[in-house]
This record gives sequence, structure tokens and C-alpha cells, in this order.
Amino acid sequence: MRQSKIGLHTFMAVPALVLFTLFFLLPLAQGIGMSFTDWDGLRTPNFVGLQNFFNFFKDTRALNDIKTTVLFALGSASLLNLVGLVYALIMDGKFRGKGLARVIIYLPAVISPLIMGYIWYFLLQPGRGFLSIAIKQLGHSEGLTNWMNTYCLQMLILVLVNVWQYTGMAMVIYLAGLQGIPKELYESAKIDGAGYGGQLRYVTLPLLLPSIRVNIVTNIIGSLAVFDVIMALTDGGPGYATESLSIYIMRMCYGAKTGYSTAVAMIMFLIILVPVVISMRLTRERK
Amino acid sequence: MRIAAKISKYTSIILICSLSLIPFYILLVLSLNRPGRIHSEGNIFMPDFYLQNYIDGWQKSHIGSAIINSAVITFLALFIIITFGSMAAYTIARFNNKVNKAIFWMFLCSMMIPGIINTVPLYTLMIRLNAINTLWGMALVCAANALPFTVFIFTGFIRSLPREIDEAAIIDGCSLFTTFWLINFPLLKPAMAAVVIINGFGIWNNYAQAVFFLQERSKHNIPQALSVYFQQFAGAKWHLMAATAVIAVIPVVGAFLVFQKSLMKGLTDGALKG
Repeated sequence: MRQSKIGLHTFMAVPALVLFTLFFLLPLAQGIGMSFTDWDGLRTPNFVGLQNFFNFFKDTRALNDIKTTVLFALGSASLLNLVGLVYALIMDGKFRGKGLARVIIYLPAVISPLIMGYIWYFLLQPGRGFLSIAIKQLGHSEGLTNWMNTYCLQMLILVLVNVWQYTGMAMVIYLAGLQGIPKELYESAKIDGAGYGGQLRYVTLPLLLPSIRVNIVTNIIGSLAVFDVIMALTDGGPGYATESLSIYIMRMCYGAKTGYSTAVAMIMFLIILVPVVISMRLTRERK
Repeated sequence: MRIAAKISKYTSIILICSLSLIPFYILLVLSLNRPGRIHSEGNIFMPDFYLQNYIDGWQKSHIGSAIINSAVITFLALFIIITFGSMAAYTIARFNNKVNKAIFWMFLCSMMIPGIINTVPLYTLMIRLNAINTLWGMALVCAANALPFTVFIFTGFIRSLPREIDEAAIIDGCSLFTTFWLINFPLLKPAMAAVVIINGFGIWNNYAQAVFFLQERSKHNIPQALSVYFQQFAGAKWHLMAATAVIAVIPVVGAFLVFQKSLMKGLTDGALKG
């Protein structure tokens, strides 16, 4: 574009930059500073060095929250991508009612995860939940087993609810990726004697890699920040068993441990950085 | 063989769709049951059609004002990200210099930082700005969180638009600013659809930030109002909880169904470029 016009265009980014600096970057920088203090939200903060971080790793509740958050994210991201991909492969191509089916599958994703959590709470509550009663009516007198007692079952249920809600989103991204694959590649694969499995392995999956990357990265970030579903389904309980790091940050902030809660946020940030960098690397190298 | 494949395809599609819909149906059933209904009796899939739950839920839960609050926050935030985001994206896409590259990378990296990371320090800023318990404050927070993704989508989209249209407009005497607003901005509709569907529902349903910034009852958004309302029952009165949840869900489901065609298209196009 013409050189003489360069002056004005820089200003067009200014509103976005001001808003973003004030409400995102500045708090982020402040948070890094705060994480080295003992601030309680009211009195003047004292610098305590790395004390908050040492406290974090001594706190069994915090360590349990890391375990819960990471397990939830790994479970969600892998299952979401697997199920989303299978759904997309089934839903690809032309058939009657295609648009309607896509809308129905995407529908759960537009609803508040908090409300979703409550819906599944009505369904899965041991004893009087809908599923429990349905099982009783089928003749099993005990109804649904009490999943609230077992950590593994709790995590599984939380992951499944999350997967159920967001599969539509993963599916849509994979469908978009599938549309981008040229049909000629399948033709030539057929000529080379590849069956459905062969086409999937040598054409579909390699060409879907960009979509897979987008999906995995967004799912891992989203799931590591999990808040609503857990609040609605288990409230982090029993005790602190299924509490996530986001919920811990919120509760520490309300518990007048502001400095400490920002330190937890920084640790969470570092945790999020790991899978993001790894997955970006991996998919880029294969190209 | 072909027919068998077709049948199995349709069966699996029907199964998948019912899996997505059954929980909604059960919510509806619960919301229409009488308060005293003993669940284990009779056909549990058949509700009592007791509509009083909806009246009670509406009157006792402040869900009406919460819906209005959510709507105000969402529209404000979407207006901000669409105008600010597209303007920033335009300079980034059209002027490939070092500053713009740096801005783009900053947004790209920020996309990976979830809002909860800086929410606690943001709280102190919001107090200083008198923005706690205000709808505009919440809208600004949501807009800032959604901005990186918005810029990313718009930049990708503007790069795919031919430069010739800009140049023709400038030769015809348009300034860069008017060129953007009159020529480019109307062409951004598909990208806007993607931005609206991906950010809009998230802002509408925001809970993690609402817990911090919308504590006053009159300023509650939908999830915050629901969770406060539900907590007072301590797990009892499912019929009222379910009815209120249905009321809370109606606006989003309605908006999604009305705009589903352009939204789904925008989503696929947006995802393609992303």
C-alpha cells in the first residue's frame, strides 16, 4: 500500500491495545508482582519472596487440585478429540437431515456449563437422580452406584459431562478440516488399493493435522481452566477431592489470601504452558 | 451391502442425536413435575405438566433481570470486540511491519492464557475504577478476554480479501479509515459470525469472572443468579431448579436456533482459516 497512508493506520489498533493492556496485560504483570507478597486484600503487602510458591507445594490440598485439574484436562482433551473425530467422520458427506443433526449435536455447547452441570446433577445424583430411578424401575434394587464415593468415578463423570457438552465443537472443527481435503486424494488412494482404513490412515488423518492441533490446544487450555462444571456437579467435593485450580484460586482470594491466590494463578499458567508448547512443536515437526 | 451401510449410518446418527437431546428432555420433565411427585412411581419419562413451577421459579429467582443483565453485557462486549478487533486486525493484515507483527504475536500468545489467571489482580483494578458490580465493567473484562481470538480470526479473514478493492477505493479518494468502514467492514460478516458464536455464548454464560465482579443481586448475570438461587435449596426442590434452568436456557437456545445457519457456516469458515 502507498507509503503516504502509513500514518493513520497505526491509530486503528490503539483502541484494542488500550483495552487489552488495561484489562489483561496490566493485571497479568501485577499478578506476577503480587505473587511474591503476603497481601490479604486490605493491608499493605509485604514482600515474601518465593514463600507462596513453597507453601503451595507443601499444601496437600493444592497438590490434589493440580492432580484433579491435570487428570480432567488429559481425559477431556483426549476423549473430546477422539469422539469429535468419530462424530465428524460419521457426519461427513451428504445425507438427509445433515444440518439438523449438526445443530442438535452442537446445541449442548452453547449452554452454560454451570447449567449443564446441574442437569447432569439431576440425572446422576445417587439414590434420587433420574438415572438411578430409571435403573431401579428396570429391577435393580440398588439403583445407581454411589459414584460420589470414588475419586476415579467422580473424575470419569466430570470428564464425560464435559465431553458430552463440547463434542459438537470438536466435531465442527473436524468437519471443517474434512471439507478442506481434496476429493482427488481419495480417488488416487482408491486406485492404489487403499480401503476405508487405508484412506483414513494415509489421507484423512495426515491432512487433518492442523485441525487436530487446533482442537487439542484449545481443549487442553479450556479444560485446565475448568470451573463451572465442577462447581455445579460436585462443588469441588467431597471435601476438596474434585476441586480444580481455578476454584482454588477463587476460594483463596475470598479467603483473604490474595497474594497466595495470584501465586497459584502463576503456577497454573506454567502448567498450561507445557502442553501448549509441546503440542505446537509436535504437530509442526510432522509437517 | 450399500443399504446395510446406509442403515448403520442413519442408526448411529440417530443415536448420537438422541444422546445430545435426552438430558434436555429430562430437564424438561423435571421442570414440569409436581413438587410432591414421588419419582419412582409411574412412567418417569411422562411429566405432570405442572406449569406453576415456571411461575414460582420466575418470581423467586430474579432470573428475568439476570437475563437482561447477561444480554446487556454480551451486546456491549460483542460491540467492543467487533469494532476494536476488526480495526486492529485491519492494520495487522494490511501493513506488514515490525510493530504490527509484534502486536499480532502478543495477541496470539495471549490467546493461550485463560482469564482466571489475571482475574484476582484485575479485581483491585476494578475496585479503583468503580467497576465492580457494573455491567459495563463486566463487559470490558469479557471483551478484553475475547479480544485476542477476535483479532486472530479477523486478521486471517482480512488477509484473504483482495487488496485491490482497498486500492481502488483509495484511488477514488477514500481515506484509509473510510475505506475500512465502508469497504472492508461489510465484507467481514462471515468472520463476525464466527466471532459472535464462539465468544458470544461464552460471554453470555460467563461464570468464573461473574463470581468476582457481579456480586450484587441486581447485577447478577444468568449463571451467577442461578447458582445463588440454587444454593439456597441445598439440593431440594428440583422442580423449581429445573424450571428456572429451562427459563435460563431459552434465550440461548432460541438465539442459536434462529441464527444457526449463518452461525454454523461462520463457525466452519472461521475454523477453516484458524
